[in-house]
Amino acid sequence: MEIQLQQYHPIIGYHFIPNLRTRCEHEGGGYLLRANSAGFRSEREFETPKAEDIFRILLFGDSFTAGDAVSNKYRYGDVLETLLPGLEVFNFGLPGTGTDQHYLVYKELARDYECDLIVIAVQVENIRRVAARYRLAKTVDGADILLPKPYFEFGAGGELVLKNTPVPKEPLRPEDLPEGEHDFVDRGGRMFLLRKMVGKMGGCVKQLAQQLSHYQPLPEYDKPDGREWLLLKAILRKWTSETDKPVIIMPVPLYHYVEETASAEGVTARFAELGSWENVILHDPLPDYYSVPKSERRRFRFENDIHPTPAHHRLLAESLAAPVQELLDRKAGGAASI
Amino acid sequence: MNATILGISAFYHDSAAAIIRGGEIVAAAQEERFSRKKHDPRFPKKAVNYCLSEAFIEPDELDAVVFYDHPLLTLDRVVKSILSAAPRTEEQWMKASRSILGTKLFVSDLIRDTLKTDVKILFTEHHASHAASAFYPSPFEEAAILTMDGVGEWATTTLGTGKGESIRLLKEINFPHSLGLLYSAFTYFCGFKVNSGEYKLMGLAPYGEPVYASAIRDNLIDIKQDGSFRLNMEYFGYLDTNRMTNPKFTELFGGEARNPESMIAKREMDLAASVQKVTEAVVSKTARHLREITGMSNLVMAGGVALNCVANGLVQREGIFDRIWIQPAAGDAGGSLGAALLASYERFGARRERDPAGRDTQKGSYLGVGFSSDEVRAFLDRRSLRYSRVESLEDRAELVAKALAEGRIVGFFSGRMEFGPRALGARSILGDPRRKDTQAVMNLKIKYRESFRPFAPSVLAERSNDYFELGSESPYMLLVAPVKEEHRLPMDIDNFTQDDDLLALVNQLRSDVPAVTHVDYSARIQTVHKETNPEYYAIIEAFEKFTGCPIVVNTSFNVRGEPIVCTPQDAYLCFMRTEIDLLVLNDCILRKEAQPEAEKDESWKVEFDPD
Repeated sequence: MEIQLQQYHPIIGYHFIPNLRTRCEHEGGGYLLRANSAGFRSEREFETPKAEDIFRILLFGDSFTAGDAVSNKYRYGDVLETLLPGLEVFNFGLPGTGTDQHYLVYKELARDYECDLIVIAVQVENIRRVAARYRLAKTVDGADILLPKPYFEFGAGGELVLKNTPVPKEPLRPEDLPEGEHDFVDRGGRMFLLRKMVGKMGGCVKQLAQQLSHYQPLPEYDKPDGREWLLLKAILRKWTSETDKPVIIMPVPLYHYVEETASAEGVTARFAELGSWENVILHDPLPDYYSVPKSERRRFRFENDIHPTPAHHRLLAESLAAPVQELLDRKAGGAASI
Repeated sequence: MNATILGISAFYHDSAAAIIRGGEIVAAAQEERFSRKKHDPRFPKKAVNYCLSEAFIEPDELDAVVFYDHPLLTLDRVVKSILSAAPRTEEQWMKASRSILGTKLFVSDLIRDTLKTDVKILFTEHHASHAASAFYPSPFEEAAILTMDGVGEWATTTLGTGKGESIRLLKEINFPHSLGLLYSAFTYFCGFKVNSGEYKLMGLAPYGEPVYASAIRDNLIDIKQDGSFRLNMEYFGYLDTNRMTNPKFTELFGGEARNPESMIAKREMDLAASVQKVTEAVVSKTARHLREITGMSNLVMAGGVALNCVANGLVQREGIFDRIWIQPAAGDAGGSLGAALLASYERFGARRERDPAGRDTQKGSYLGVGFSSDEVRAFLDRRSLRYSRVESLEDRAELVAKALAEGRIVGFFSGRMEFGPRALGARSILGDPRRKDTQAVMNLKIKYRESFRPFAPSVLAERSNDYFELGSESPYMLLVAPVKEEHRLPMDIDNFTQDDDLLALVNQLRSDVPAVTHVDYSARIQTVHKETNPEYYAIIEAFEKFTGCPIVVNTSFNVRGEPIVCTPQDAYLCFMRTEIDLLVLNDCILRKEAQPEAEKDESWKVEFDPD
């Protein structure tokens, strides 16, 4: 039995079923999942007003942030709360979504919550998701389906134009995909069929194949003027310019970069472009991964599932704690802005 | 102590898991409901996951995991039994060794590997698990305990007592002498599946005459005055072959076993009636003896034989004990619950909290997974299905009752799923018991089977004595009792011959509630109580308001061979595959005519083996 975890939302696509309380089977032994009445994985209800002595973060991201494969309490957002007293994290993470949808979550559901800081966790694969109009998913019966998603396009004047809303409710069967739309499906990576085939041969074969071929999972970051990067960058630009709160943008690396089977040079270079934006702190956690011996980094993902293990979440939390602590100190010192 | 204990039963049939906290039952479920494989015997990974979900705990928060029987004792019995008949038992050994050496002996590793934690693992004995499942949730401070099944380790029957938090087993009958296996031998011989067809054999019995009862007593089983018995193994095959019976058995009962595909003949009906009569005699004598040796006035029962509701009804009507309580998951699935309860009380010192109103603590057996209204709507909305939402319980009950009174068949999915083999109004298909055609419609258009068995009545608890000679509650559909004289109609059964079609007989009107009345004017009753299922109660109450009849037909929400539905998705699929008119998913109502034209899907006929 597969439990349906999400419910339809006309602008975002979906969010968690409000007040869901379940346990998901997983190779790691299974994990507890609780959603609040707002439809996000959280042990607490989201209240709009904020106590004066609380430092509140609104956290956005995909499954790495929502915590696929681990119970709520092990997610880096929750761990961060335990590291820094007085901190409150509202986790708006949604599995399978892109930064475009995270921005829409902010606009539609989150921006009225009082906060001190916004953290946008950009799992680096999101560059592909923002360019997609459909995401490949499985039904509860295990069949492939395509979930339509909202997406942005550049308008004639270079402005971002939201498309595909209200998001169609009905998933599509892959064979029903309209002509010309095949390039807009996020299939979870490059070379879908080859990955599927190699994946079936087992984790070791897959890893070996990737090492030997110097497989670069995200060449979209290689050029500063690539279509996908410009779109992701524009979305982040629009989002960060619409808030007067400080924003941390944190690129969350794929395991290829963590384990150094692929070069992260392009990813690092592209995100570095954002470091000079007003009100934005770029926090790249990659150096913190590299402080762990290379031979030990395999434990940051599961045997088959690439989602972060509790150890990985802890590392991310500890990494993120540094810039957040700095902001906490500044707030304590009476600074009005960063 | 508020210890949290997970109980597991597995590897024979109907594997299950249950979770107890401080002695209170938090959840229990059979694996088949999640895996969609009927009687699934595999390690109950999904049921375990569900139990942890319901308790909302991490595996490392468990104080212990308890397995419901002792693999080493089972190995001991298998090895000794096989050696006693060697070398003819080589094939038996190969089969048994694969199961026992392959998995059962390594159950601790399997549990730890599944849960990914180094949890404490305990083992109980099989019949102690059954005994615990019968006594602890019962409403009694003290009770005599009777467990009977095919076999668990060595024991096939145990007699004991329960008092407060402790259980004592006083006597046992050991393998190969087994009332459960005797019944299963006839189940097999009459062409039904062992471990699931016993219920059919019991349903067939009223058509026959117990003409073979003497032959059974004279040749197969030696029954003592105290109910103890010994089987004559010269007639059985289960010790030294892969069959339940052998040529001597075949010879005794006049020819080969019935081919499952062939028509049921008078011989099978008479065999069913005969073994049923012998079974009732053994259960009755054993119960009398148990009353004598314990002096206790309450009886609790579990083990597969305790699902024989005809025998249970007899024991109840004979008044051997003042009160009887039977574990609704009396088979091996209930062993998971018993194992966890036993550890909870005897090992971890939980105290039994009696219900102030004197009810049991089984919570109506609604111990399985439930889905919130938000979850149901998320499922329906994702599929753009047309439904209406009726939030008021009263309005919903009236709507459903009206549909039933108009002759519609309703798929009813509400609240937490039942634990045990019976649907009790959480995952049920409902119909009007008064209508002449209800039984045929439900059999042919919903269950896709022709059945000689009538359906079960769900009756308002306060009105059951107006219709049935029951004299007690039967909340778990485990007692059979006669329909009262004033509701019966005369039947032409005397001219029934061997060549007649059973279905012609079953389709005769037998009472003013024909769909729930068997040919012997008996009914397998569920009394419905407001306290345990207010929604179901309200529907029957509303049905009575419309029709004057406080009864609805209740059959399990599934098609032939399919496990009872578990999720809204399962329920919707079953609704669309059958001619159910109305589907109730909590507070959402779906009408068949409003649904998209279903694609012709007959895959389920391959997906589910006929039972």
